[in-house]
Formats: sequence, structure tokens, C-alpha cells
Amino acid sequence: MIKKSRQVRDYKELTRALPTQTYLDPEKVFIHLQNGRCKTYDLYVEEGDHVYFGEVIGVRHGGFFEQPIHATISGTVGKIGKKLHRTGRKVKCVEIVNDYKDTYHPTITDRPDHVIDALTQDEMVEILKQNALVGLGGSGFPSYIKLATKETINHVVVNAVECEPYLSSDYRLILDRPEEVIMGLKYVMQALECNHGIIAIKSEKNPLYEVLTQVIERRYSHLNIEVIKLGNYYPQGWEIEVFKSALDIDIPYGELPMKYGVLGFNVSTTAGIYNAIKHNLPVVERYFTLTGDAINYPQNYRVRVGTSVQDLIRQSDGYKKEMNEVLVVMGGPMMGVSTVSDDVIVSKTTTSVIVLENIGYKEEPCVRCGSCVYSCPAHLEPVQIMTAVKRNDKDQMKSLHADRCIECGLCAYVCTSKIHVTDYVRKAKKLIR
Amino acid sequence: MTNTMPKIVRKTSPYLRRPNANATRMMRDVTIALLPVSIFAIYSFGLSALWILLVSIGSMLLTEYVFYQIQDKLQGESFKFKNKNFTLYNFSAFTSGLIYGLTLPDQTPLWIVALSGVLGILLAKLIFGGMGQNIFNPAAVARVLVVVNFATLATYQTNIDGVAGATALSFTNQNLFSIEVLQHYTLTNLFTGIGIPGSLGETSALLLLLGGLYLALRTSFEVRIPLMYIGTVFVLAFAVAIQQGLGIWYPLYHIFSGGLMFGAIYMATDPVTSPITKPARVYYGFALGFITFIIRLFGALPEGVIFSILIMNMFVTSFDYHKVTHSQFSTKRNLIFASVVVLAIVVTLVGASYVG
Ligand code: SF4
Ligand code: SF4
Repeated sequence: MIKKSRQVRDYKELTRALPTQTYLDPEKVFIHLQNGRCKTYDLYVEEGDHVYFGEVIGVRHGGFFEQPIHATISGTVGKIGKKLHRTGRKVKCVEIVNDYKDTYHPTITDRPDHVIDALTQDEMVEILKQNALVGLGGSGFPSYIKLATKETINHVVVNAVECEPYLSSDYRLILDRPEEVIMGLKYVMQALECNHGIIAIKSEKNPLYEVLTQVIERRYSHLNIEVIKLGNYYPQGWEIEVFKSALDIDIPYGELPMKYGVLGFNVSTTAGIYNAIKHNLPVVERYFTLTGDAINYPQNYRVRVGTSVQDLIRQSDGYKKEMNEVLVVMGGPMMGVSTVSDDVIVSKTTTSVIVLENIGYKEEPCVRCGSCVYSCPAHLEPVQIMTAVKRNDKDQMKSLHADRCIECGLCAYVCTSKIHVTDYVRKAKKLIR
Repeated sequence: MTNTMPKIVRKTSPYLRRPNANATRMMRDVTIALLPVSIFAIYSFGLSALWILLVSIGSMLLTEYVFYQIQDKLQGESFKFKNKNFTLYNFSAFTSGLIYGLTLPDQTPLWIVALSGVLGILLAKLIFGGMGQNIFNPAAVARVLVVVNFATLATYQTNIDGVAGATALSFTNQNLFSIEVLQHYTLTNLFTGIGIPGSLGETSALLLLLGGLYLALRTSFEVRIPLMYIGTVFVLAFAVAIQQGLGIWYPLYHIFSGGLMFGAIYMATDPVTSPITKPARVYYGFALGFITFIIRLFGALPEGVIFSILIMNMFVTSFDYHKVTHSQFSTKRNLIFASVVVLAIVVTLVGASYVG
């Protein structure tokens, strides 16, 4: 087939309509001490110490920021071990054994509304910093740095497009707790003195549209918040595409959206901002999709940060019997990371784990059909980059702008010959970095 | 948890592929699109057409098969009927063979069909490394080899035109701008292909368009190439018609004859031998149309279409050269392209006034 194709089968029907399963009482949790952005850390507690729910137990050091580490249950500190992280490396984790009491740390107190109304941008940024709020959609970029921008922001966009196939945790979050998302957006707008908020959803997700507009009309009609339906294609959820479709603002390659007066937040992040500001609550739990064709009961979970994925797989009645080889993917099936083991944990930024049957796709020679070129959202020519990689011609990779690839995976998805084009482009990116 | 623990393997994203993504399907579609044309050819030319098609397809399939058998042998593989590099399932050679066969006039001697077929696929495709690697369209190369072989090897004295020139277009060569050509064949005849001499597949524009429609619906080819190609020939011929005071029959006659439809829809669109980006494919189609018309105007060669395709095949790498290639249209490049089009029309008109 020779055509621009951004339709990706979405498989969301596996989980979307099912109620969210609450799994908030794990026997223990494992808290990452390191992550993709933070290599070093200090731990304030020792094995055997008692910690409260929401207590600061340490700090992670990133390149240009520090991040407090919070306990997500109350209980006893256990051993420090190593667990596989999304980045593919093993990172240190501290174990906390649940005492099932959920005794709150005294810092966790509600802020009355009149106090919140008086908060300034700097104060809000400080609150988010204390609560270690980062991009919960997977980026892990500190939200307080984003919120601290000094640029004039005209539009704040909550990105609820969730264009990756299979994932529906954002969808469930909005359905279950629309107010948290809307309030979070309200706070951000307040901090940035911006009076236009947008919640961007996919066009086919009509239930969300109804839920959101209903809540907004009933209770927040004084706020200028719009719910906008965007296209039903991949990767509509890429921030650049969202701004383009929702606001018709083109952000050139390499520039920050803030410069153009827009700022985007993920749905979970927005809800996290609400909890941080309203309840002074760090990110202790999250919505999490466990799905895939190789698992018995795919569904969405509300879990503590630090829950073991193995526990959840057990909750979902395990792998299907007939499966011989599976892929365990953290994140979506287009951009997620495949791990070598299911011994991973739900971190703040883990949106999902997808268990797929391993299918060996048979690659045919490239027929130069051009579908990958037509489809690439970054307007690259993946097939030509592939040829350049095969020839090891770095100049060519550079002038074909391989570095602009967002690794959305579409080129391999659409490839007529089922070639893993994305891998070649990825290689080119590495070679010319 | 169940006791059966599947093996967890590691791969890189994306983990999904488009259902129905299939290179074979694309090639096979071309064959399907050409079925009505082939049947019509056999119907109008009789058994000789069937033989030509069988020999043209057979020669290409056999050559590819034997070539890979030998290659495997040289690499120390033991003989298997369906060898490691078995490629015939992908319909690529079959499609080339069919297209090649359909470009031939019905009285082409079979041994020339076979010889040119073998050489065509060997020289144009196999020695370049097989499917996806070739620069020239194998069917077009084979078709040109027929002319060459005929000229050099045919023992009996026949005019080369005896093979190559029996198309309706050859009448234009005698009397370039005269409506007399239509005394031989009406436009309706040309469109439906009834009662027209010529190459097997090049006669019925109606059936060719039908196949093109099928390919467009299945998105198995880039519809921009034939549209630009045929459109360009039409526009250029139309300009000449105005200049020379000819009727609308002149451009129509040009697009319905001389294998233009056939070449534009089935040969110029071969993805392997056409540029990779959308804009380049538009420019490519335009260039094909321009060259074809110029060849017809000055060279009086009935194979204008085949030659333009081969000429443009050479430039595909320049279209795709990494410093000039762009996957998007832009206002600036559109303007440049528009000026080139205008220039082309002027050149054509100046040329036509000399010829006329
Ligand atoms: S993975 Fe990169 S090259 Fe491939 S389609 Fe996405 S952005 Fe384009
Ligand atoms: S890499 Fe795949 S999609 Fe791209 S041109 Fe080749 S066959 Fe087509």
C-alpha cells in the first residue's frame, strides 16, 4: 500500500469500558532511588525504620534539580535492592513493608480554597517541587520547572489524547475523576495567569466529551475551559501535533512551546497537580493499564507508586496458557520499552505494562513504496535514512535530519514490507549524535 | 498465577505492524489489474498473444529462479526445490513478465521474446541485487532489448518498424498535424481498443483505466504519477493543438495511443524505479510526460513512452539525492515547479512550430 497512513488499530476495547480495579494494599512497595534523569540519591531512613504515608524518605539528584522521594504507604523500611527500570538498567530501590494502617504524615493536609486562591506562581511551583511532581505521562520532566516559566502563556493544554494503542489509563482517570483534572488545570491557569484552558481528547472518545463538558458546565462554567476533539490518528498525542490540531500553532523543530504561548500537561500530571496543591499530597498512586493479548484479564488499576508489576499480573490471572513467548512492554506498543523480565515496578511515570504475544514478522525487501515517507509525522524520509545507515553514510543521515525523529514507530508500523525501519532511524540518531 | 510461565523476549519498539502490510499484495494487485487487459489481448490477437505472454512471463520467472539457485549453490547451500532465496512468491518477476509481454506487438517472434526477457530481468534486476535494488524497470529494459535484438539478430529482412511501429501512433509520424490519422481509427476505437493494431496491452484505454482505478482503490500504486504523466502529455498536446489550429481530437489522440496509458499506469508507477517522496513523484510524472511528448514530436519514435521511462529511471537517484529531497510541498518549490511547467510549454510550442 502506498499511502499516508496514520491509522493504528487501537485495541483499547480490551480495557476501556471495564471499571478501574483498585489495588491499593500491596504487601510491600519498592521505591526507585534512581531513575532515567537522576543518577545519585540520599536516603534519610534505614532498614527497620518506620515511615508514614507521604513522608519524605530521601532525595534524588538530577542534573539541574533535586527531587524528594516519598513513601507511598506507611510501614517499615526494608532492604535496598535492585530492580529493572524502564531504561533497561537495574536501579536501586528501597522496599517498604506495608503496615496496612496508612498513617498520614503530618505534612499532608488540605489547603482551604481561599488559601489556594491567593497562591502565586512561585508558591505553587514550590508546592509542586516539595511534592516532586514530574510529567506522569512518561516524560518524567519536572512539572515545576515547566510551571515556573516566565513566558506569557495564552493557552494551557491538557493532553488527554492518549494515542498509543492499548492504553486507557488516562481515559479511565478522566471518567472516574474528571474534577481532579479540571481543578488541576484551573490551578495551572491561575499560576500562569492564563485564561484559556483546553482539554484535548480524541474524536472517538465521546464519553469523555460528555463527562467533561457536563462537569465544566455545571460547576466550572466561569472558567474558560474548552474540551476539544482532535483527530483519531497516531501520533495525535504528540504534543506538537496537539498544539497544531487544537490551536493551529506550529512549533518549529527544536523550539519550546512556551515561547509560542502554549504549555501542555498530561492528564495524570494535571490530576497530580491538583492533589499536590489541594491536599499537599505527593504522587503516591496512579492509574495504570495492564493489558495485552497475552494476559488473561486486561484492565486498569489504581495502584500505589512502587507496586510490583508481578503482583498485578497475578491479579489479572497471569499469562494466557497458550503463550510461549511474550513481550513485556512498559509504556505503549508503539514507543514503549520492552523488558527482559516482568520483575518491574510501577514508578511514578509508568503508565502501563502491555504483555503481547511475540510475533516474528517476516521482513521482505523494501519495495520503495514510500508509505513510511508519507506517514512520518516529523516529515522525514525513513527509507532513505535506512539506506544511509546501511551505507554508513553519516553526512546523508544528517542532511536527512535523522535527529528529528521522535521514535513514534509509525514508519515500521506502516511499512509494506514489515521492515523495522524505526530501528534504522534510531541507529542513525545515535550515530550522528 | 498459572504455572506456565512464558518466555519473555526483548525487542525494540514498535511491537505492532499494520495488518495486511504486504509487499506481495502490492505486486499481485498489478497482475490482477492487468487481467482484463490480458484477456482482451488474447481475445483480439488470438493464440499468438497467449504464447507471447506465456513466454515473456515464463522467461522472467525461470531466469530469476535459476539465478537464485545458482547463487545459493555458490554460497554452498544444498539444492532444494524451494531454495533459501526463493523469491517467486512475491509476484515481482511475474508482474514484470506480464507487463513486458503486454508491451509487445503480436507478431514478435517467440525466441526474441524469450531472449529479451531473460536478458532484461538479468541485466535490469538480478545483477543489481534483486527486488527493490534495481534502477531500471525490467519490463522496459526487456522491451528495448527486443528492438535491439531484432535489429541485430533477426536473419530475415524485416523493417524494424515491422515490430515496433505497428501502433496507431505510427500514422502521426507520416503526417504530423493532420486529422487524417483519425480516418484510420476513430477516438472511440482508440478508447475501447476495438479494431486497433499495436502492442498487446496498449490498445484498450478503457480497460487500462479500469485496472488503474482498481490499483488506486487498493492504494497499490502512486496515482499522482500517471495523473501527472498523462496530464502533462494532454496539456502539451493541447497547447500545440491551439497553436496549430487543431481540434480537441489531437490531445485526446495523444493520450489514447502509443502505449501512453499503459506505460503511465503500469510501468512508470513501479515503486522501485520511481522517486520516494510525494513531491518528487509529481515532478517525475511531469518529466515523463514532457520527455514523451518531445520524443513524439521530434523523434517520431513509437516507443517514446518506454524510452522516457528508462531515461527518467536514471534520474530517480537525483530526485532522491539527500541534499535536495523534501517530503513536503512548499510554496517556494511549488513556484519553481510552476515556472518549469510554463517553460516546458513554451519549449514545446517553439519546437512544434519548427516541426510544423
Ligand atoms: S519513528 Fe521517526 S522516522 Fe519513523 S515515522 Fe516516527 S518520527 Fe518518522
Ligand atoms: S521501508 Fe517499507 S514503507 Fe518505507 S519505502 Fe520501503 S517498503 Fe515502503
